[in-house]
Formats: sequence, structure tokens, C-alpha cells
Amino acid sequence: MKCLLVASESAEVLFYWTDAEFERKIREQYGASQEEGERPPAFEDSLNTLFAPIIISCITMIDRLGDSYTSFTTDNNHVYVLHQFEECLYIAVNGDGQESEEDLKRKIYVMKKLTQVMFGMMTLSSALLRKELRPQDTEQRTRIWKKLQSLLETYSRLREQDQSFLVEAVARLIHPTLCEQCIEFLERRLVQQINTSADRAGEEVLHAFILVHTKLLAFYSSRNASSLTTSDLLTLIIMVQDLYPSNSDLDETAPEDVEHNTAPEIFYTPEPSPTDQDSGQMSGDCPPVFQFVDPDIQMAEDSLQTLEVPPPDPATPSRVFLEATPKEGCFPMMPHSMYCLPLWPGITLVLLTKIPNSQVAISVYVYLEAFVKLEKRLGEVQEGSVAFRGQSPIHDLRTKLEKFIRALASMDVQTTLLQAAWNEFKNRAFSRSGPGISKELVPYCRNMKIQLCGVYRQCFATECMGNSQRLSPSLQERAQSMVQEKLMDWKDFLLVKSKRNITMVSYLEEFPGLVHFIYVDRTAGQMIAPSLNVTDRTASELGKGPLAQFIKRKVWGLVATARRYLQKGYTTVTLRDGDYFFCYFLWFENETGYKLEVVDIPSLPDDSAPIGMLAWDYYRKLLRYYCKSHQNEVVKCYELLTVHLGVIPSEYILQHCSQLARKLWEPSRIPLL
Amino acid sequence: MAETASESRRCIHFFLYDSSKVREEGDPTRAGICYFYPEETPLGEQELLCGQLAGVSRCVSELSSSPVRLLRLRKSKYAVHMRDHYLWALSCSVDIPDVSVCEFLDQLIDLFCFYNGPVRQSYQLHSQEELSERWARYLSHLQSGSTELHHIFSCLRTIDSTHIDPLLLLKAALILQACQRCPLVLAGCILYRGRVVSTQMPPELTMKVMVHETETFSQDHKPQANGHGSGRSPSHSTVITPVFLSPFELKMLRCPPVDKACRTHCTPQPVSQPRKSRLSRTLSDTPSTEADSLDSTHCPPLTSCQTMPSTPRSSISDESSFSPCYPHVASTPRINLTCQSESCYESPDHSLSNGSLSCEVEAGNVTRHDSESSPSRKQREIRDSDKRQDLGCDQSGLKNKSESSNEEESVGQNGNSIQTNGNHSKRQSPDNQSIGSCHSDQFHDSLGKEVDKEDHESNKEDRPREGEEREREEDVKEFAGKAQGKKAARNGEVPSEPALEPMMLYQQRVRGLVLALLVEPQFNTDHNAKEEVCHSSLASLNGLEAHLRTSSPGAPGIQGPYTFAHYDCIQNTLTTNVCGRSAGPQDKPFVKATALIHSHFSHTDSLQEVITRNAGSAVYGTRSAAQETYFLQHGTVARNSGVPNHQDSAFSLPSKARHRLLKHGVNLL
Repeated sequence: MKCLLVASESAEVLFYWTDAEFERKIREQYGASQEEGERPPAFEDSLNTLFAPIIISCITMIDRLGDSYTSFTTDNNHVYVLHQFEECLYIAVNGDGQESEEDLKRKIYVMKKLTQVMFGMMTLSSALLRKELRPQDTEQRTRIWKKLQSLLETYSRLREQDQSFLVEAVARLIHPTLCEQCIEFLERRLVQQINTSADRAGEEVLHAFILVHTKLLAFYSSRNASSLTTSDLLTLIIMVQDLYPSNSDLDETAPEDVEHNTAPEIFYTPEPSPTDQDSGQMSGDCPPVFQFVDPDIQMAEDSLQTLEVPPPDPATPSRVFLEATPKEGCFPMMPHSMYCLPLWPGITLVLLTKIPNSQVAISVYVYLEAFVKLEKRLGEVQEGSVAFRGQSPIHDLRTKLEKFIRALASMDVQTTLLQAAWNEFKNRAFSRSGPGISKELVPYCRNMKIQLCGVYRQCFATECMGNSQRLSPSLQERAQSMVQEKLMDWKDFLLVKSKRNITMVSYLEEFPGLVHFIYVDRTAGQMIAPSLNVTDRTASELGKGPLAQFIKRKVWGLVATARRYLQKGYTTVTLRDGDYFFCYFLWFENETGYKLEVVDIPSLPDDSAPIGMLAWDYYRKLLRYYCKSHQNEVVKCYELLTVHLGVIPSEYILQHCSQLARKLWEPSRIPLL
Repeated sequence: MAETASESRRCIHFFLYDSSKVREEGDPTRAGICYFYPEETPLGEQELLCGQLAGVSRCVSELSSSPVRLLRLRKSKYAVHMRDHYLWALSCSVDIPDVSVCEFLDQLIDLFCFYNGPVRQSYQLHSQEELSERWARYLSHLQSGSTELHHIFSCLRTIDSTHIDPLLLLKAALILQACQRCPLVLAGCILYRGRVVSTQMPPELTMKVMVHETETFSQDHKPQANGHGSGRSPSHSTVITPVFLSPFELKMLRCPPVDKACRTHCTPQPVSQPRKSRLSRTLSDTPSTEADSLDSTHCPPLTSCQTMPSTPRSSISDESSFSPCYPHVASTPRINLTCQSESCYESPDHSLSNGSLSCEVEAGNVTRHDSESSPSRKQREIRDSDKRQDLGCDQSGLKNKSESSNEEESVGQNGNSIQTNGNHSKRQSPDNQSIGSCHSDQFHDSLGKEVDKEDHESNKEDRPREGEEREREEDVKEFAGKAQGKKAARNGEVPSEPALEPMMLYQQRVRGLVLALLVEPQFNTDHNAKEEVCHSSLASLNGLEAHLRTSSPGAPGIQGPYTFAHYDCIQNTLTTNVCGRSAGPQDKPFVKATALIHSHFSHTDSLQEVITRNAGSAVYGTRSAAQETYFLQHGTVARNSGVPNHQDSAFSLPSKARHRLLKHGVNLL
């Protein structure tokens, strides 16, 4: 019984997602209170009615006590988690014991992250975000909600199944030679060719990477691109998985079902598979995962009165807003286009391009930040103070902004509203008759922010994206077939390898008693762990069924535990739990591998953001904190989690852990470029 | 012991809110506020908190069809308890583990019910001001003088046994045993200056009994509002207070799992339910709740009561081995009343019917007083209950007189008691019964509704209500009992008020030393029994007190380059070298880690050992079914890198703890 809800301060539901059970429960509860003969209300309305008191109470508490609810737990272990971002209240509910309070909090943060990647700076203005999340147009709303609902479901599935989403770090396919070859290929052939092509409509490929299921085979960033953060990369993987799910449930479907499903597959498959044998194997192993309409339509058919959404043109890229760190500084939510080109089921090529007018986004962000700062300072200033007058920053802002508005106008951007807001601001701030730069300016600051976001929306929002603005379909097709050609011989190997990236068998001789481990390089945001596929059909090394499930549950529990201790400032934890012995270590090294001294890391309050990299990069903060005392060094942060059999004496276990850390240090060095 | 009172304010807010008083739009929220702590909180804020929290909790519990247990805000957290229309909420700082906050609230509510009976009833009987005073008293008792570690474990405060001649503990245990010779005495404990010396009761009960002790101790022997004082000299006094026990608690006290042969021969009045004799508080001795409830649930219901009088001795042993419920049937008058009138001996329903019926009688009184709505309701009530007790005890007094010798008694006791009880019931209850019975319907009705609702929620079959109520009620109780109290009761969805049985708490004080006994209600009027208990124990109590006074309690514990805490989950006691010193900043890391690990233990059953380390400290925690131990070694955590390293001193903590704690009597081997 799960639910996630975003509500505005006026208790309007901006977005919701529920699983079938929750929906049934609500309908039952609501149906019972209905008068005879009346039609039951729309699901959204019942949801709204049921949650409204909670939302209103939450807002009252903030207004009157300055404190707000963060969670409720009931006797039957239903958990409600509430979190407010600006003026939007997020509520996540779990009633089946599968998610803890921490998981729900994480889900809320992930939801926030997803909206940021989808809507960019529109999320900074609650008025705009409300419009984005809940467009007036029903059809559009349905489309957006379905998209977000399906992304959320994809995330939940990955968090449940995939170790890389458990620890929130990217898993790589461990095959150095192939990896290197691919990177070289992406660099020398693919990216170069696209970026010099005339059909690219002004776009420039910044990053190109190949995913095998959720694992990264090769990643190339062009020279003038800033690095892609782990958080963004993980979000992109969720989006790719959403488009082309490689679901273990699908893996489990019987072959005949698969055959059933294969019909629409042809759509994008460029060439038939080389041999019969191959194709047969393929349909068994990897069911057709790229059916364009599927993920959207399979989902919650009945929860919305379905309006058939026409399948998007496959050559249209998705607009994503990612953090960029050009020389000028760090800019969050810069617009990019993402092209997902499926090579084979389970293998995808992703291209991230810079769009022509992305400079505007940087400017908008700069001005937004300036107004945020101004508003904050005005808020701090005592009554009527005009201390700012004549100071250069604000006059600097004035000239620059005017230039910017003119430039926008020349780019065919509608600037009337921005201009009007700016005029109003100017009249008050700079004219003699106006109040000057004082507290009274605050609402005008706000208006400016809204208008700036509006301009940003005009330039970059998905639905405003011109149809012509993209790499031409033929160029995309060419890129796709080039990589296909390159990887043709590796395809089957890769698909198997992604399921058996590292196997425990290879470690057993050296580390008897070791059951499982996860090693994470937090600086690079990468992880290595033996595969832990728990499905009925593919037996993992842990065997099938209950034992494997048990170990998996333990590993998931261990990660949660380690995070709880880490949140309170403990970097080493060992646990003896039932028949197993668990260890968790976090440590810092410099670039040469020299182990740096441990420091006391801050203990965070319970309501702080969840520890991880996807929604909120804890480790980046941690590294920054650590670097304060190691100014001249490059500091790297590592984590190791191990599961041993409890009968092994703890001295040996600890010895294992240190050997393992040393051994794993090497593969993590595979160049990423 | 130098316990700092600075951090003793464990509770930020506490309130009891009665939503049945706020039904209409126009009803002000303040009408529903029964008690709010701290009382000086502005009314506006009180209303805001009560209104919002009660509203939101109701909304959430409707959505989930289960009451809210924990409500977290950014700056504090509330343990919440919802029952009938009442909502209790208690907030603590966020540092205290969830499990401890919930435990604290449960303790507080239990405490109130122990001294005042069911909440609704007590709010009908007493004025709000008076009850507010009591809430405040219980709150301050639970918070007083305890350190942060005590907040984490919510444990009993015991005398530091390392400074005391073990013989004194033995002596204390013997005094208690001697008291139990009186059949009306259920169990007892001995307290010295607010700390437990020896107890025969389960920890929850001991904790409740202690409130009264501390209170009288601090109030310098003022007569109790609801107590019947006698012989009030400053250094020696006895007080009898009415208290209320849950059927489960009572069952635990009355139905010992073992050993009655020895009991009967040394008891002058072998009537008494065979009770377990405990020498002192040792592990093996603690009431095994499981055994109890197992017995009572699985024993085939048997024997009609007629077998009892004829062969008392044999039947006692029989009875005890077959149906542990029986003895207390024989011992309480009201129980017999119900049993006879309903002739339901053959089912394990006894205890249940007792529970509800006795409560009905109580309730009957209540309603009557209500209808009279006299200003001195309470006094009348007391008088009334006195009368009732008098009647009951007249009987036993009579009985005592008429039965000249022990032998005679031992032969005829059971029969007699039943006989007298039968009379007693007849004489006592003509009006009570009728009112009681009519009220009982209501009572059952409401209860039934609750139960029904729950059942409907959680369960499938729509059972006919009338006949099944009792069974269900029994089930619920059984369930609550089996699962060591609250935890299970929580799962078991029992939001209606549990039936409580009135008992008496007898306390005898010798300066700092207090003997507290839980006794059957008729003890109060049974002069012989009183005299006997008082006289037989007085001399020994005096002696014990003198010894305890002279043994230096303030001596610091064995100090060492380490900090430890050893929590006995079964006896609910804590041994530690932290509170010997004032818990200063040097103990902060230890307390913080302990809180974290304790809360981890509390929700992971299979977890046995934890070592956790940050740059400055490493703490080792280990637990078994019966205990939790935490250990921190000072000054040895060398600066290191945090990378796995088997030479890391943190990993030698288990062996160090084993070694060091032996001399504190903690065995981790």
C-alpha cells in the first residue's frame, strides 16, 4: 500500500502516485461513506479530501509554531513521511512494511530530483512548478503525471533490485579492454562525426555513454564539456530504464509470452540478428524492451481516466536539466537534450547535447541568484534602510539586466512581462519618488524571479521545444548503427556480463567465509559488487529462492543501517546479526592511495536529507568538509560493506576486509575519461 | 549518588485530550484538554497543539485504520496513544530513541491507571484539577533524578548492590516472603530512599509502586488524598491505598508457575493461592510470562468447584497443576460471585468474567454517583467502597474468628471461603448488582463495539456478538499478556480501555525504608492480617533499615578507564558507572552511541553485537535475550584512517569488555 502525493499550500493535489492496493483502499473507504445512488467521486477528489486535513494541519503548524510534521507511524506500522520543499508539500505513505521512513524520505527527495531534471528552474518558482506539474489541459496533465508516475515506479523498482541504486553509485561493467576500446570509439568516431555534421541543428554532443541494463560500459565526455555529476547520471539511467525497462520480472516471463510481445519490436530494430540461433537466444534472454508506448500505457491504466497519449516521435530528444560546471562557476539545471538510442534490448546509447541557446540559461540563473540574494538581504535589513543605494552591485545588475532583456528580445523571446516587472522594480528601486531599496521591494523581487523563470520556461521547457530543434533523425540513425556495428560481436557477451559482472566465486578462495561485499568509490561515484540477481529463473551463486532472498534482504538492511550510523557520525560499524557478520567502513585516501587520518564527521539531525548521491549528494558535502583540513590534497572517499559468515573469527574477517579493500582498489581505476 | 538533575526534563510537552468533549463546530478546543504539561503553557498554544495533533492523528488513523503511535516533528517527537476518545501525547527531544519515548508514555498512562483506575471513570469521579495534580506528580516522578541513560532505558532505579552486604538483600527477600504468608498478600517489594532493594513483582509493577513511595517520602508523611493512613508517626507509618491492576498483572501475581508444596506446609492458612516464593531478584526467579499464559491458555478447563472443599490439599496441588486460574477464583469474593451466579466454572473464562464484572460493579457505583451528582461525590464513593469492603471483610473477619485452628482452616478453607463469599455477594450486592448489571450491558456494549470494529477491520468473519464478546476479550487479554505487555498489545489493536481490578497497596515505612505490598482488597479491613504483617515485619524492617543506613551508599562505583552500562531487560534495571560521576561531556559519546545501538537492538531481533566507531570513540554493544551491555574504553582509540584494519583497537573491545566487566558482576562470557 503505497502512495506519494505532492500538494500545494492550498491543499490542491499537484501530483499523486498510488499503487493499486492503496487506490482500492481509498475507494473502499470512500465508497462506504457515499450515499446510495450517488456516483463515487473521482479518485483524485477522494484523495484530496482525505489528505486535506493533514495538509492543512501541516501548514498551520508551520505558520504558528514554526515546526512541521516529518512523519507519522501507526500501530500497524503504516508510515507517513512529510516534507516541504518551498511551497510544495510532499507526502509519502507506505502501508505494507516494504519501505522504512528513511526509504520514503528518499523517495520524496528523488521525486524532487526528477522534477528538477524534467522542469529545471521552473521548480524554483512554486507558481510555475504548479503549472508544470498540474497543467490546466487534462491531456497534458495526464501525460505529465503518467510520465512522473512511471519514473517513480522505475526508481522504486531499481532501488529494490539493483545494488547500484541501493548505494546510489554507478556500476560499471568490469572489462577494461572493451571499455577502453569503446571510449576510444565514442571519442574518435561517433562524437567527432556528429559534432562536425551539418545535420546537428546547432547542437553539440557533450557526453556519450553506453548502458548495458543499468551498468555503464563506456562513458565519454567531450573536451569542452563539464563533468556530469553522479546524481545526474543516476537520474538519466532511471529515465533510460523507464523508456527501455530491463525488468527482471520481464526476464521471468515465459518464452512464449515473450514471443507474444515481440510484434511491435521491429519498429526500431535496424537489422535482423545475424543467426537464427542468436535471435532465439535473444528473445529468451532479453525480451523486447524497447516498445515505445509500453511503459506509459501499461501503467495505472485505470487510475486516470485514460486519454490515449500519442506516442512521442522517437527521434525527439528528452529535455533534461543537468548541473553544469563551466569555467564561470557551477550552474544547476542547465538545459540539455538527451537522445536514447536503443542498440539492442538492454543495450542503449545515450547522447547528451548542449542546445544552441543554452547561454541564456546561465544568464537567467545568474540574475535569479542575484534577486534571491537581494531579497534575502532586504529581508534582513531593518525598516526603511536605504543602505544599498549607490552600491555598485545593484547598479551593475541594472545595466547587465537591461542588456540581457534587449538581447532576449532580439532572440524572439517574449519579454513583455519581464520588461514590465523590471520597469516596476526599477521605478521603485531607483527613482527618487519610490521607496528605494528597502523591504518594500521584496514582492517586486519575487515578481522578477517569476518572470525570469518564465523566460527560462519559454526558451527551454519541453513542450516549447521546437520540432526542428534536434539532431536530424538520419544522424541519430547513423550514430546508432555505427555503435551497433562496433558492438555486434560483443552484444551477447555484454548482456550476460551485465548480469554476472563480478562473481563471488572468484573471491571465495582468497576470502573463505565471505558472502557478499560492496565497494564504493564515492569520489567517482562508482561501485563494485558481486551480482546478486534474485530471480526464479536465473540462479545466482547464492542459489535460488529463499536463501538468496534472505541475503539480499540482509544486504539491503546493512546499507540502511550503515547510513543510519554514518548520519550520526560513525564511520566504522561491525554487526553480528544472526549467523552473519557485517562490516561497514568509510575512509579517505589521497590520490596516491595513502590512507588519510579519520576526522570526526558531523552528526546530522534526523530530519536531514537522506544519505546518498542520487537526490542529494551527501558525499560531496562530506568531501568538502574533509578537504577543509587537507587543503593541498586531492581527497578521495571510499566505502566497503561486507557480509561474512558469523562462524569466521572476527580477526580473520577484519583481515579479509583490509585485503579486500586493497584488492578492489585496482579495478576502480579503470579510466572514465 | 550524584545524579545531575539538569537534564532530567525528559518530556517537553504532555497532554491528555478528550475529543468527545469537542464534537460540534462551536465547541472550544480547550474543553477537550484534560491535562497539559507544562501547565504554564499559554492556553493558545495548548489549544493549537492539542487541536492540530488530535486532528491529524485522527485523520491518519482513519486512513490507516490503526491508531497513531509516533508523530515526529522537525524539532521534537511525540509518542501518541489513542484509546476511545482520548489521546495522550508526550513529546521528547529528538535525541531520545523512539522506543524509549513510546515506553515513557506507556509507563505514564499505566501509572495513572494503576492509582486511579480507568481514565474515563476517574475523570467522572474526580475533579480535573485534582487529576491534573496527579498527572503532574507522576510525570515528575518519572523524570526525577534520572540521567540520560535512564531516559534511554526507562529502567527501575535499584540500590547499588555492589556496596551492600549480600546478606541484606537476602534478608529483604526473606521479609517479603514472610509477608506472603498472609494469604491476602499478593507480592511485595522493599524500597530504600527511592531505590529498589528487593522485589517480588514484575518490573512494571515495581515501578508503579515506587511512585507512591517516593511521593510519601518527599511529602513527609502527609496523609494521602485517597489513602487510608494509620499510625502516622514520622518514622513509622502504614498507608493503604487503593490501586488498580490489569487482569494480566493480577494473573501473574496470583498464578505462580511453580512450587506450592513447600508453600502450603509453611503457610498457616493454606487457603492462599500458591505463590511463587522468590528469594531475591535473580534471573531464574523472574516471572516467566510465557509459562504463565501458556498454562492458562492450554490447560484443559476442568474441575467443578465442588471438588475443592472435600480434599483441599490434594485439590490444591491438582488444581494448580491443571488449572492455575483456579486459585484466585477461590480467593476473591467477587470472582466467586460471578462464578456462582453464572455457573461458568468449566471454562477458562473465569478470569475474564472477573475482570469485566468487577469492573462493572465499580462502574455501577460510578453511574449512581453521577446521577446523584452530589458535590461530595468522591467522598461518597470512598465511603461506599469502604462499605463494600467492610461487608466483604466482615465476612473474612467472621471467618477468622470462627475458625479456631490452622488445621481446621486448612481443611475447610476453600469451601469456607467460597461459602462466605457467596454470602458476601448476596449481602453486598442487591442494589449494586442491579445497577451493575444494567451498566454492565453498556459496558459490554461499548466494549463490544470497539472489539467488533477492530475485528471487522482486521478480520474476516462476522461473528455473533453477544456470546463471543467474552472470548474475544479474553483473547485480547491473553494476547496482551503473552507478549510481555505493551508491545504486543499495540499490535493487537486494543484501543478500548482495559478492564482493571481494584486492589490495595499496603505500605509500611521505617524511616527511609518502605515495605510495599500488593494486597487483596479485603486486607484493609482484616485487622488480624494487618497486625500480623505489620508486627511480623516491623522488627526485621528496623534492622534492615539500620544496616542500609550505615552502609555507605554514596561511595563511588568502581572506576576505571572505561565506561559501561549493563541493562537487564527482564528486571528492567541498569548497572552503570556513568551516573556515579555526574554525566559530563566525557560521557556524551558513550550516551549517544548507546542510544543509537539500543534503538537498533530494539528493532532488529537477530542483532547480537555492534561495534561502532568514529574518530574519537569506539563503543561496543552486545545483547542477549535478557540483557544489553555497552562498553567504551577511554583513551585508547589511536588516530587511524578508518580503513579496515584488524589491529584497530576498536575490535578488541569485546574481549576487554568481557574482562573488565567481570568485577562489576557482568558476565559476558
